[in-house]
Amino acid sequence: MTIACTFGYSKPQTVEEALRLLARRVGGGIMPLAGGTDLVAWLRDGAVSPGHLVDLKGLKELRGIRLVKGGLWLGASTTFSEIAESPLVRRHAPILTEAAGMVASVGIRNRATVAGNICSAVPCCDSGPVLLVYDAQLHLATRQGPRTMPVTRWFKGPRATALPKGAILVGILIPTGRHAGAFAKLKRYRGEDLAQASVAVRVDSRGNWQVAYGSVAPTPLRGPKVEKLLKGRKLPEADLIEQAVKIGDTEIAPITDIRGSEVYRRMMVGVMLRRTIQLAARRLAGEGPDYGINILEEEAS
Amino acid sequence: MKEITLHLNGEVRRIAVAPHETLLEVLRERLGITTPKSGCGRGDCGACTVLLEGKAVRSCLILAIETDGQRVTTLEGIGEDGPTALQQEFVKRNAFQCGFCASGIVLAASALLKENPQPNEGEIREALAGNLCRCTGYEPIVAAVRAVARRNAGKKRVAKRARS
Amino acid sequence: MNTNKVVGTPSIRVDGLEKVTGAALYADDLPFGPGLLHAVVVESPHAHAKIKSINTSTAEKAPGVVRVVTGRDFPYKFGLYMQDRFIFPQDRVRFVGEQVAAVIAETPEAALRAARLVKVTYEPLAAVLNLADALCKDAVTIHPDLANYERVPWFFPRAGTNIAHWRKTRKGDIEKGFRQADYILEDTYTVPRYAHCPMETHAVTGWFDLSGRLTLWASSQSPYAQRGVMAVALKPFGLSHQDIRIITPYVGGGFGGKAGVSMEIIGAVLAIAMKGRPVRLHWTREQEFKNTSQRQGVVARVKMGVKKDGRITALEHTLHWDAGASAEYGANVVNAVGLSATGPYRIPNVKIDSVCVYTNMPPCGAYRGFGYSEFHFGLESHLTRIAKALGMDPVEIRKVNAIREGDTLAYGAKMNPGNLVEAIDRVAKEIRWGRKEKSGSTRAVGKAVACFWKAPAMPPNASSAAYLKFNEDGSLNLAVSGMEIGQGFLTVMAQIASEVLTVPVSKIRVETPDTDRNAYEWQTVGSHVTWSCGNAVRAAAEEVKAKVLATVARAKKLKAADLYLEAEHVKNRRDKSFALPLREFVIDGIMLADGRYVGGPIHGTGMFMPEFTSALGDPETSQGGHPNVHYTVGAAGLVLEVDKETGKLKVRKVALAADVGQAVNPDLVRGQVVGGMLQGLATALYEDIRYAPDGRLLNPNFTDYKIPTTLDCPDKIVSIMLETPQPDGPFGARGIGEHTMIPAAPTIADALEDAVGIRLKTLPITAEKVALALNGIEYDDVKGDHLGFCFIGRPSDYSFEIG
Repeated sequence: MTIACTFGYSKPQTVEEALRLLARRVGGGIMPLAGGTDLVAWLRDGAVSPGHLVDLKGLKELRGIRLVKGGLWLGASTTFSEIAESPLVRRHAPILTEAAGMVASVGIRNRATVAGNICSAVPCCDSGPVLLVYDAQLHLATRQGPRTMPVTRWFKGPRATALPKGAILVGILIPTGRHAGAFAKLKRYRGEDLAQASVAVRVDSRGNWQVAYGSVAPTPLRGPKVEKLLKGRKLPEADLIEQAVKIGDTEIAPITDIRGSEVYRRMMVGVMLRRTIQLAARRLAGEGPDYGINILEEEAS
Repeated sequence: MKEITLHLNGEVRRIAVAPHETLLEVLRERLGITTPKSGCGRGDCGACTVLLEGKAVRSCLILAIETDGQRVTTLEGIGEDGPTALQQEFVKRNAFQCGFCASGIVLAASALLKENPQPNEGEIREALAGNLCRCTGYEPIVAAVRAVARRNAGKKRVAKRARS
Repeated sequence: MNTNKVVGTPSIRVDGLEKVTGAALYADDLPFGPGLLHAVVVESPHAHAKIKSINTSTAEKAPGVVRVVTGRDFPYKFGLYMQDRFIFPQDRVRFVGEQVAAVIAETPEAALRAARLVKVTYEPLAAVLNLADALCKDAVTIHPDLANYERVPWFFPRAGTNIAHWRKTRKGDIEKGFRQADYILEDTYTVPRYAHCPMETHAVTGWFDLSGRLTLWASSQSPYAQRGVMAVALKPFGLSHQDIRIITPYVGGGFGGKAGVSMEIIGAVLAIAMKGRPVRLHWTREQEFKNTSQRQGVVARVKMGVKKDGRITALEHTLHWDAGASAEYGANVVNAVGLSATGPYRIPNVKIDSVCVYTNMPPCGAYRGFGYSEFHFGLESHLTRIAKALGMDPVEIRKVNAIREGDTLAYGAKMNPGNLVEAIDRVAKEIRWGRKEKSGSTRAVGKAVACFWKAPAMPPNASSAAYLKFNEDGSLNLAVSGMEIGQGFLTVMAQIASEVLTVPVSKIRVETPDTDRNAYEWQTVGSHVTWSCGNAVRAAAEEVKAKVLATVARAKKLKAADLYLEAEHVKNRRDKSFALPLREFVIDGIMLADGRYVGGPIHGTGMFMPEFTSALGDPETSQGGHPNVHYTVGAAGLVLEVDKETGKLKVRKVALAADVGQAVNPDLVRGQVVGGMLQGLATALYEDIRYAPDGRLLNPNFTDYKIPTTLDCPDKIVSIMLETPQPDGPFGARGIGEHTMIPAAPTIADALEDAVGIRLKTLPITAEKVALALNGIEYDDVKGDHLGFCFIGRPSDYSFEIG
């Protein structure tokens, strides 16, 4: 179980140095390395064979979870474990807390980063739908200077993002404000699994809804039609939720692959929409279970 | 090749590594540390678990060069004064069968108990969910960790009474 | 009444401390120094193709490469029961992943890089990827030379076809039996392939030393069987048994996958190619899935006739097995099922056809349960359906038909002791059979009870031996060659020796096998080592005891008949004050008054062979032989919760009762119940192997082949041990290792039907299949090409003509 390709390695201590390194021309290309839980597996599979790796874990600017003007700041090297355990995240972005607890297993979560997750940009990435419902802003460092990008513009296709060549994702800004939500992930069993499909919903105190889906299209995507349908309804009644389920089905384009058939994915997105909308509404009303459950495994009522 | 320094099981070890060598390979093939096992090579099974700065991680998914200057603990590095209470409990309950997953599970459970000395059953199962065992059905493994957790709770009560 | 002191108690495992401290070494942990070479194999990308040429010249020149080996260097076949497997393929490859060549290099990286430089040109052949294609009239034959393959006398291959073996069992008059029936049900059940998934993948290091002695350190369940297979296959190199030594340290799980020989023989020939230097070969997880052995898939047609009162009058059971490219071990699975596919029921009229079929899929072989899990799925599902059709209680129909001691088995021999009826009653009571459980708004709850049986499948001369020796401190070394694959074998052997010799288990070291040092063992398979090797250990211990008592009698001028052992002392029934500690004389002897010593290092040996068995039944009926030593019977009850929206299944409770004869170590029996049940439930619920339409395995990893985690356990597992002694077992014991996973699949299928009224006849019963079925959608209609296949088409497509 050896890695066959060879490559160089550097671990810069400043963002400037990292950008300089990433701009170099190296045969095979240069790739940034964060937690490595995807990248090292890809190196072993031969899926990628870069000439050089730039380890971003030395960059202080990429560390930490803190409240800043405009929201909750997650440094790019924040691991899923740090997110799952953070009281700040639980308070200001609890849907992310719920999702982080369902990412892989503790041994992976201790290493894997939320930024790496969206940079890998596999269609089943768990943080995609959650960041989408939060309208998160991605802060990038480029050789031309810092820039921001809404996460809604980030995902370009399977394993493809809008990250400019040579740029670094520095951190993620999640707008704060009173809200509730839920994340549901369909897995083949209760243990660690990649999502067969996932749904994230968020509702604020004025009844504005955000809905997003994972694993049911080439990228995670928002559900604007369902959002519009639910708008202004803090406690959507059963009929409306059933309508949302029907409309939700028109927003997704799942495929049949070894993890599930298109038909099953569609059916389950319906179940997940129903359960997450109900759960989010209850949580907004101050009821319902704490964040950190998988509503597909718990009794819905 | 680059020389790295590992604080391995309480000792300082310097070794030259190539960037493509994983921590698991360097431990097993170069440093004679054989308790982290190679079970899947992609982070799915947990047999290669080591503690990196005290956190349970997958040594098959970490390049050795990334760990320069860091603290690495393997099963060889715990229980210097004989088996720990957790290890003794595992023995007492015949918790392992083939034992190939044991080093990963002992480390993952040790890390859990250090962070949370009294985990409940759900927390134990969650903490060990990434360590696959094909033999035992996990029952005696979870029971052993629960037994240690309960004893920790008892100790805490005694300590509290002593203080008050 | 149990008067034993050690047998029957939950002793601490003798390997427990080694395993939790990391002291336990596995095959890939052993140090071989800087001279160690590393090998990587080149794999076939085709399911079936002619090998046109193999060009190794670029690879040979790559840095670090020492040698490249192909089938030209080693043109030999091997196999345990039939020699149909190639060390390296000769003219053609027969499955995706088959080893075509091997690169030996100074480092693993060098070998891996160079393996990609070996250029093989193929001419693709039509591939046989399912049973229908394999058995059709003009089928492509995968082994054209089948007629000339060496095999055991109880295999019946059909030359010129893809049929590797056909076991027929006939009892009574099947036509008459169906005429007598008031109700007949016929249907087809399919069970896909599965992978063993031991946490340790196969590993071997071979060293052909300069004197010409070949030593292999292997992760194996069968060191002696391996030596035997290699002595045959490697005869052209002048090697015989005395020249081959297999050393097996601790094994990280077997489940049948490390029985017989698979990749170890590659390690052997690479060592021969590199005389003087050790060569290591360590399978990746992907190779572990593709190129060891898998569990065979099966299409089972069950036709059963019953009277109104539930008595079975006739059973026609026809099973077609997908053996893959090699049947050298799998055909014996097929054979075992062909003899026992009645299940644990008294059935007067029986017709069983169990057919082993070659395909261009990865080879299959032994897997915990040895075919019994597969046929019980259909048979037990069928019995529940019949009970419901008759308006009968599914528990009652099982009791009406339950097999009893002395009943005539399908092949004519008599049934051994075992209390199946009590097992059924106990599990039914444990799950409160008949009582409806509360359901939630989206949840329904169902229950099921199923029976099981299983016998070891062994050649009639499969045997065990044991060697036991004392040390100066009165401790013992026990050298056997059964494998500690996790089940607790070493501990149980120590307990048996301890029972006889009164030396505590903690003072008995049981050694892992080395074929040059340890006594013989056929293989560690079939749940038979507690019984077989246990008998050998008991005999060895009795011999040691006799020597101990004789030595003391001689030295002290006492009668041996008056002496006995107690708490590591020799005591005298006629003199309560007499107590001679073992440690004082078992090596150094006993000094006489004149200063001379009598005695000497005390050791003993034991052996066991089941001399009453024979595999020579009539090929057309299987009557006349006595192929099985005994069956262990039992039953399981299960309570299942179904989420009607998601199809997700949760096991609330399982109770399993088995008649183990005598639980030598109840704690270890429980370990087999809990672990085996979870493994069984995983095959029933989510382990789901997938192939692409070209025969490529799509999920050779734990990312997409899901094995259970701590979060996937039943809420409660109850283990019930019944103890009707096995007369020829050590202290009455019989096997239990495999049995515990057998009832999982039928209880899931039956409990699902009980809960929500749907009947699934194809494993696994995934949440997806359940959800679709609850919505009236057939999985086969939506699974698509991307999902791969276990069987092309539907069960109903497989109605084979039986000649």
